[in-house]
Amino acid sequence: MKETEKTDYLIIGNSAAGLSAAEAVRKNDVSGKLTVLSNERYFNYSKPLITYFLAGKLSLDEVNFKDRDFYRSNNIILKTSTEITEIDPDKKIAVSPEGRIFKYSKLLIASGGKPIVPQIKISEGAGRKSGPGNYLNKCEGVFTLTTLDDAIALKKYIKENKTKSAVILGGGLIGLKAAEAFLSIGINITIIELAGTILSASFDKTASEILVGRIKKEGSDILTSTTVTSLIISGGRLKKILLSNGRELECDLLVMAIGVKPDTAFMKDAGIETDNGILVNDRMQTNAEGVYSAGDVVKSYDRLSGVFKNIAIWPLAVKQGTIAGRNMSGEDVRYNGGFFMNSVEILGIPVISIGFSSADENGGSGKTPAFAENIEIHKTLNIQSGIYKKIVIKDNRIIGVILLGAIERAGIYSGLITGEIDISEIKENILKDDFGIIQLPEDYRKHLVVGEGIEV
Amino acid sequence: MKRIYIDEQYCIGCRLCEVYCQVKHSKSKKILKAFKKEQKDILSRVLVEEIGHNSFAIQCRHCSDAPCIEACISGAMTKNYNTGVVICNEEKCVGCWSCIMVCPYGVIKRSLASRKAASKCDLCYDEDIPVCVKNCPNEALKFKDA
Repeated sequence: MKETEKTDYLIIGNSAAGLSAAEAVRKNDVSGKLTVLSNERYFNYSKPLITYFLAGKLSLDEVNFKDRDFYRSNNIILKTSTEITEIDPDKKIAVSPEGRIFKYSKLLIASGGKPIVPQIKISEGAGRKSGPGNYLNKCEGVFTLTTLDDAIALKKYIKENKTKSAVILGGGLIGLKAAEAFLSIGINITIIELAGTILSASFDKTASEILVGRIKKEGSDILTSTTVTSLIISGGRLKKILLSNGRELECDLLVMAIGVKPDTAFMKDAGIETDNGILVNDRMQTNAEGVYSAGDVVKSYDRLSGVFKNIAIWPLAVKQGTIAGRNMSGEDVRYNGGFFMNSVEILGIPVISIGFSSADENGGSGKTPAFAENIEIHKTLNIQSGIYKKIVIKDNRIIGVILLGAIERAGIYSGLITGEIDISEIKENILKDDFGIIQLPEDYRKHLVVGEGIEV
Repeated sequence: MKRIYIDEQYCIGCRLCEVYCQVKHSKSKKILKAFKKEQKDILSRVLVEEIGHNSFAIQCRHCSDAPCIEACISGAMTKNYNTGVVICNEEKCVGCWSCIMVCPYGVIKRSLASRKAASKCDLCYDEDIPVCVKNCPNEALKFKDA
């Protein structure tokens, strides 16, 4: 038995992009039927907050980013625990595994990302009979950490097993956020990173070394240039892990924190173009008529590299969702691109990284000679106060920032990147403690005046 | 909506706006008590920038498309669409500092006193005129409609 529900706007995804789109639709169309689908059971929660929940800093009632009234006041029909496994853009329908059919006029795919789970061999028992398999379901003690349910399960496991230590596979931002949560509840950690340094993608060697020092000071360990090759389980439970460098570690809790990738598997036969992410134009429209996409699932325009990339960060999900929602409801607005940025506190050290933050005078690893042309690096390091600041400049424009220990007024730099402002006349001031609006190039200061009431 | 406008040429850099802002956002609301007992806990949400004789006071612009609201992961930063005021609910704020990362004016601060939370101008929503404007001796700040 198949039931068909008709809706004017169907939004797959109940997070940053999806709800921003819903809100934007409602600014143009107050009465059209608007349905938001979530494959999870919660009325909403903020994914970046799940490590705060894990650390006990927030309760389950505090991880939402929109209150219940948001759905009421915006007249949004929310269907939780509703998965979509098929989309047919010709018939304009989305179908759940149970056969529920949603017929839409406009569809937004804002299904987000899912964790990258590497293939790892499992060895069972003393004889170590081994074989491949889905170890996430096969053995207890291995977790991903991207959903609230993951965090709840992890917390329950820690409590039940009185876990005292954890291994985190992946030394990127996700791994470090997990690490911080564990340390704050008294769990020792070992981070395992395939690259030569942790945080190599979003920071540089200096920043990484400072953070490594801080993590090690907490009694935790960081193992680089290696990875997990085998899980040794007993009675369905993780006991040990084997590393590619030959080491063997006792381990009853392993967290997979390698990264996330766009969740597009469910739309395989839909004819919607994907390439490691859904492809969209600057109206956040896919190649299928009436189908839009936004957030962690898309490849969107990266202003700094000039190419389409999957940049899975909250502020861009909101921005893209808003553009998609406005276009779905009759406007014609364009997404002018974004760039990577992240703000995180690691063991009390606030750190912000923006754009090409890991670049050096020679460009940096994996960078072309063309990229290295006209690159300038400005940096200051004060070991005593624990402050490191770095600005990467190319052709007199800021393209990368690291602020560690002191992040005050960081947004002035992102504003200069967004505005592609020529900073040649203010370079010598750019890292001064008192750097502010007053030093900015006069034209840009005037630009800040427009519409927002600054007459400087 | 009414906003604060800056008249740079009249700013004499006296920083009275900062003082009144701190007192207004203190617990005691009394200048001496606030500065004796709470000084470390209360941040001025207005910021005087100064180079030589050139100075001006700047606070949250309460942007129409506020980047801080887009970047907020906890739903703490919201805009009241009736008044246009952008407010940070410090109870809901988790101190991730994403707002600081994106505010092009650099007018959001880290408050670390009782709990970590973003601290910014609330346009003194419970006053007729924001205290920084009211107490500027040289009318370098004005509160008026756009």
